[in-house]
Amino acid sequence: MDAILQIIAIFAVISGAAFSILGLLGVIRMPDVYTRLHATGKVGVFGVVFLLIAAIVWLPAGRGKALMLILFLLLAGPVTAHALASAAYRTGIPFARPIRDDLEHLASAPLNDADTPSA
Amino acid sequence: MLSTLYLTLGIYVLLLILALWRVWRGENAIDRLIGVDLVTVLTLGILVILALIYRDSIFIDVALGLAALGFITTIALAKHIADEQMF
Repeated sequence: MDAILQIIAIFAVISGAAFSILGLLGVIRMPDVYTRLHATGKVGVFGVVFLLIAAIVWLPAGRGKALMLILFLLLAGPVTAHALASAAYRTGIPFARPIRDDLEHLASAPLNDADTPSA
Repeated sequence: MLSTLYLTLGIYVLLLILALWRVWRGENAIDRLIGVDLVTVLTLGILVILALIYRDSIFIDVALGLAALGFITTIALAKHIADEQMF
């Protein structure tokens, strides 16, 4: 029984590491902030959640805690990505390859200097 | 089993250094904030790997605390950067 759990844990750890590597590769390679947010979401959600699945399988004592952490991460991931994206858009960070901007009429005039936001 | 865990720990530490490099070299504030968020998440991953290595579930409590703090920090900083008020 222990061997089967061990194999599952190994597969979960390896896939978690693979997702983290790919996610971080995305963070480095992506042209602008908005696409980079896709990559951070992958690292955060898939990388750590698979590790936690391995933790659930491999650590019988911490099973409830790991489940709590998985739920929290699945909730927190998209929220942080949305907060970052709206902050980036509101400080006027340009798109790398702008095709269409649905928020053009809604957002206040974006600033040109991204590092000194207005009040 | 233990060797894969140590290998994964090495990979995550390497990714952590890459994320820190992203924080250092970010063009604008949001890039640096993405780097900080990434560092938090990778530290979380390292904590969970340590829990697996030492087979001790206390690390997952630490990871839970760090996840909550990292989440709040990113949200507060993003809001502060966007429109200067914190809450």
